Amino acid sequence: MKIIVVGCGRMGSGLARALDRTNHDVAVIDRDESAFESLGSNFRGLTIKGIGFDRNALIKAGIERSDGLAACTSSDDANTVTARIAREMFRVPTVVARLYDPDKADVYRRLGIQTIGSISWAVKRALEIFSYSKLDVVESLGSGGGVEILHVAATAALVGHKLSELNIPGEIKVVALERSGKTAIGAEELTIESGDQLYVAAHASSVGQLRALMGIERVR
Amino acid sequence: MNTLIIGGGKVGVYLAQHLLDHGHEVTLIESRPERFEKLRGDIDDKHLICGDAADPLVLERVGIRSVEHLVCATGSDETNLIVAMLAKMEYGVRQVVARVNNPKNAWLFTPVMGVDSAVNQADLTARMLATQMDPLLGGEIFEEDATCSL
Repeated sequence: MKIIVVGCGRMGSGLARALDRTNHDVAVIDRDESAFESLGSNFRGLTIKGIGFDRNALIKAGIERSDGLAACTSSDDANTVTARIAREMFRVPTVVARLYDPDKADVYRRLGIQTIGSISWAVKRALEIFSYSKLDVVESLGSGGGVEILHVAATAALVGHKLSELNIPGEIKVVALERSGKTAIGAEELTIESGDQLYVAAHASSVGQLRALMGIERVR
Repeated sequence: MNTLIIGGGKVGVYLAQHLLDHGHEVTLIESRPERFEKLRGDIDDKHLICGDAADPLVLERVGIRSVEHLVCATGSDETNLIVAMLAKMEYGVRQVVARVNNPKNAWLFTPVMGVDSAVNQADLTARMLATQMDPLLGGEIFEEDATCSL
């Protein structure tokens, strides 16, 4: 694919290098030539000095034949304008803009601009690590207070116990176990090993209890 | 005439004061707090809002849906374009007029970006200067219709 990256800061240069390493045809635009140093000496893509909505810079970067464009300068406004130009004026099929302000993302999405908010992503991820790191909801069955299908990574508290020990009739039931790339159903006599991934059906009101069994929530 | 002006620089304030003097309804949004404080001496507080007009929440707070004319007059072309885009596409503002700061960016100020008409100030001033030098010079050295797209 031919991809244009606008803005050669941490995100832009990281993305450009990753695309180059995986043999994509990359062109990077930045207003400051010294920013291209971060691409390293092995970078095979094109570097163009200019601002992201400079017609000449975009055409030099090959926007008329590009498959995608990522706008990742430090300015939300510049990124949005660049993304819109790419989409509406040059008909680039896939366009993404980096946005620092998460409040704007919804509206911009309605304008046809896909956004990546590094900050909102980081906040979400940190929240996940605090609350769900070893336990993700795969699917919620029924509406409101139904049953959750949970993906559970084996914790130290679970290793050495039999799968059946997790079962609580009417509340928690192990559905499947994934080990070394294979998934088995109903192998309840197996002993949990480190690295195992469990799929567990739990009543919504019993998820706290499951966390306690996993040792990721203190029993109050 | 309900007009919203973005940018409390010389151009925005000059226009706001003239509209207000002639009895029009005007709101002006300025994002820089220190500039905003200065504006308060020149224009009545009830016409002023301090905030980032590229933020949909700020636009909604000033009642963007009932605005008839939007004037994007900041010194930043990208800001003028974003606000134009939001106003036109998201809120359906009837008329969007925008100021072009850098003549290199003039090609962007089109209906696709939400701009109904653009005023290219550098081009306009340069033409007038050339015409003052020699009445024929303006038409000679500048292409047609680059000043305003109406």
